[in-house]
Amino acid sequence: MSGEEEENAAELKIGEEFLKAKCLMNCEVAIILEHKYEQIQQHASDSDPSSQVSQVFEKSLQYVKRFSRYKNPDAVRQVRETLSRYGLAEFELCTLGNLCPDTSGEAIALVPTLTSGGRFPEGEQGNDKIDKMLNDLSLIKKFE
Amino acid sequence: MTWNVLIPPSQLSPKCLLLRKAIMVRLLEDFTNRKASEQHGYYVAVNQLKTIAKGKVRVLTGDTLFPVTFTCITQKPMKGEVMIGYVSKVLRHGVFLRSGPAGTIFLSDKVMSEYKYVGGENPMFMSEHYSKLVKGAAVRFKVMGLRWMEDDRRFLLLATLAGDFLGPI
Repeated sequence: MSGEEEENAAELKIGEEFLKAKCLMNCEVAIILEHKYEQIQQHASDSDPSSQVSQVFEKSLQYVKRFSRYKNPDAVRQVRETLSRYGLAEFELCTLGNLCPDTSGEAIALVPTLTSGGRFPEGEQGNDKIDKMLNDLSLIKKFE
Repeated sequence: MTWNVLIPPSQLSPKCLLLRKAIMVRLLEDFTNRKASEQHGYYVAVNQLKTIAKGKVRVLTGDTLFPVTFTCITQKPMKGEVMIGYVSKVLRHGVFLRSGPAGTIFLSDKVMSEYKYVGGENPMFMSEHYSKLVKGAAVRFKVMGLRWMEDDRRFLLLATLAGDFLGPI
C-alpha cells in the first residue's frame, strides 16, 4: 500500500518494475490470449482433460475481446508503428491505442503527460501534431 | 484504459522432486492460484519459460526447490489511469463496474453529480442529456484510488467520472 502513494498514472509514475517491462494494448493482448486459449484447449484434450483456464484469464480474455478496437493483427502492428513515431512513452502509447480519442482535447484530457516533455507543446502547434497522430490512427481503423 | 505488462524475471519455488514437465504444470498451478499480487497486479498468463535452474534440496523436508525464470503478462490498475469498464450492478448510491480481471470497482453517486438514480425494474443512472448508465453499458472512468485486499487477493478500485470525456460510451 505504501507504494501506491507515489504511483500516479496521470503523472507517468508507474513504479520501477513496470518501467522495465513492455506495455501491451488491449488488441495485442486479445491476440495473445486467444492464441493461448486455443493452445490450452489442444493440450487439455490430449493430456489433462480437467485443466481449465483461471478465472483471471477468462475475465481478461472477455474484456480485451470486447474492448479491442482493431481485430486484424496487421492493423494492430500498424497502430503500434504509427504511435511509436511520435516519441511517446510505452504507457502513453497504450493508453491512446486503447481509448482511441477523437480530438486532441480528448487526448490531452485522458493522457495529461502528453503536453509535458516538449514533444507536443501546448497551443496550436502541439494540438495540430496530436490531431495528425489521431488522424493516422483513424485511417488504419477505416482500412482494417 | 487498461494496459497489460510483460515482466522480465520472476522466481517461483515448487516443492517436491519433479520432472521438467511436472515443474511447468506446477508453475502454472501456482500462477493460477496466486491470482494477483500487490506489486505486479493480476496475473493473466504465463508467456515464456526462460530457464529452470538447478534444484536445491531442502534438508529437513526432502523437497526440492527449483528457481524458475519466466516472462508473463500481468495487469495492474493504476491511480489516475483512465480505463474502460462495464456496469455490473446498479445500486441506489452508486454503480459497480467490472474491467478486465479487476472485478470490484465502485463508482459512487457523489462523483457522478450529473446523473440521477432512476429506480424501477431496470435501475439505472440517467443524466439530463439522456445518457444512461445501465447494467452492461460501457463506461470510461478514471481510477481515483485503489486498495489491495490481501485476504481475497484482489484490488478494490474507486472510480470517478469527474473529468473531461469520461462517462458512458
